[in-house]
Amino acid sequence: MKICGVDIGSLETKVVLLDDNNIIDYRVGRSTYDFKRVGNNLFNDLLEHHNLKKSDVYIMSTGYGRNTIDIADDRITEITAHARGAQFFFPDVNSVIDIGGQDSKAIVISKKTGNVIDFQMNDKCAAGTGRFIEVMSGALEVPIQDIGDLALKSNNPASISSTCTVFAESEVISLFAKGTKKEDIAAGIHKSIARRVAGMAKRIGVAPLLVFCGGVAKNIAVKEFLEQELGFEIVIPVDNGKSIAQLTGAIGAALIAQDQNNG
Amino acid sequence: MDNLELLSEYSLFLREKKEEGKKVVAFISHDNIPEELLDAAGFVPLRLMFAGNDELMDASHDYLSPSTCAFAQSCIGLFSIKPSHYRFLDIIDYFIISNHCVSDICASEIISKYFNIPRLNFYISYTKNDNSGKYFKLELLDFKDQLEKISGIKIKNEDLKESIRNYNNFKKKIFEFSNLNIIGSEKLRVLQRAMLYGPPFLPELESHIQMFKENQVQKTDNLKGILITGGSIFLNDFLIDLIEEAGGNVIFFDTWVGYSYYSQIFEDNIIDSIENPLDLLVNRFKNNIYDDHSVPNFLENKISQIELVYQEYFKKTGRKLGIINHIIKFCDHISLMSSHLKNRLQQKGISVLNLERDYSKANRGQLSTRIEAFLEMM
Repeated sequence: MKICGVDIGSLETKVVLLDDNNIIDYRVGRSTYDFKRVGNNLFNDLLEHHNLKKSDVYIMSTGYGRNTIDIADDRITEITAHARGAQFFFPDVNSVIDIGGQDSKAIVISKKTGNVIDFQMNDKCAAGTGRFIEVMSGALEVPIQDIGDLALKSNNPASISSTCTVFAESEVISLFAKGTKKEDIAAGIHKSIARRVAGMAKRIGVAPLLVFCGGVAKNIAVKEFLEQELGFEIVIPVDNGKSIAQLTGAIGAALIAQDQNNG
Repeated sequence: MDNLELLSEYSLFLREKKEEGKKVVAFISHDNIPEELLDAAGFVPLRLMFAGNDELMDASHDYLSPSTCAFAQSCIGLFSIKPSHYRFLDIIDYFIISNHCVSDICASEIISKYFNIPRLNFYISYTKNDNSGKYFKLELLDFKDQLEKISGIKIKNEDLKESIRNYNNFKKKIFEFSNLNIIGSEKLRVLQRAMLYGPPFLPELESHIQMFKENQVQKTDNLKGILITGGSIFLNDFLIDLIEEAGGNVIFFDTWVGYSYYSQIFEDNIIDSIENPLDLLVNRFKNNIYDDHSVPNFLENKISQIELVYQEYFKKTGRKLGIINHIIKFCDHISLMSSHLKNRLQQKGISVLNLERDYSKANRGQLSTRIEAFLEMM
């Protein structure tokens, strides 16, 4: 039986089809306001493409919207799913940082058992999340996929508050008014996220080998500033030379389902 | 009976007491207010033990900073907007100003001053030693004096002893109830009712015990055992539902609404052997070593207590107990200790989730994820 991991995040939904530890295919789509419809559509698209029926596939859902999708056979939190997914790519993983659209998480994994031994999540606040970058890229009028590269061009990152998205947006506007360069503001924004997430991660004692995953891991500047804040290098899951950090939760969910089905 | 029915029933109870000529004395629920003195002077104690919500917290911001303890904010919100189910707050005669914590004194001062409720003062020490015992006794004498003046009743030693006996028997019964193997939400519902009504709830409590003993049908074996410490789960809080929806079962409430209250009991012979009943209350204050606002050794006592419950649970079930440290946002006492508590318990191999939150419904999803992930981790 094939296994499917469906990770319904607040901004994006990821669906991964797995067969005996091999990633067969995947789909990613905007979650919109209708998690269930988006999850079903992406899943059905995968089924159709691979000539499969629903009954051929066991589905494990995860993520913020894990309870909204009724086709799932079982559910698991994104914390456990990301830990398992990170282990799949890096068996020696010690810690995970996942920055998604709405929240960020730090996870510590036992090397002995492979189980999660501690975790920390951000508060109900967009600071330190993908949403923060989205709001700031809007304020800077820079496409979100380009804002990381822009930040790395800076030699003099601006200082931006790490505590609140609304305050930070006002700070960005006031920096504009002072004539601060766009790349310096972009760098300040990324440093602010890195500082906040690293602070949270240090509280639970993250250490190398640390896997960075979630949608924000696509942003190279966040990775670099996180490394500076943590004081060590971090790694990102890659498949065929391409970052698949965003899929880690869905892959982890599928692997947990596979583990369970294998007894 | 759901909580709205309970509030409406409680409102009737208070109104009946008022018609009997009794006066209602309210206070922000904590475990050092001497209810027995209020009872002996003929007053009805009303504990503010109602959880907040977004509306109540917002309503309090005319008086308090949003960075004040969410529970204190919510208490003020209750007086500020008085939702229909809390109309009984209109009939409060006196409000006790106490200093269990900074937020307690802020909120109680504001409630008394801005909502025109005459004040009574009862201050407590943050230490537990001989000097604080003497200080506590002076406060008891002063409090007794205040009550006698407003009631016109002289509180006799025998009357106070009788009240102490009543409360003692009542707490012993709650203790017995708390040891029953029933689902946490059911246990909490009875605990909350018991603490709201006080000894008049005793017959109902006894019938609950009887009923649960006869019909122990609730299967809790497939649920993961949880001890909740830190902030209480007050009435109308959805936290207990989140824990149970995630597959957890709170077997021990190490909080004001719970063990901190019903564990403060005396041996019967001690009540009879001590001449001045105020000394009994002083001893109880000094022996309340789990009081989360006192020094020294609070942390050590708390850890020993949790470890004991953990070991007993493990011995009985062969399973590990998870600890949820419920941190009400901006409660300095609990949040200050949280990382120490977590680290120390983790060193002993005990899993701890520091769950910080206010009463907002907006973070319900995040809370669920944290609780579910914690249970998965266990």
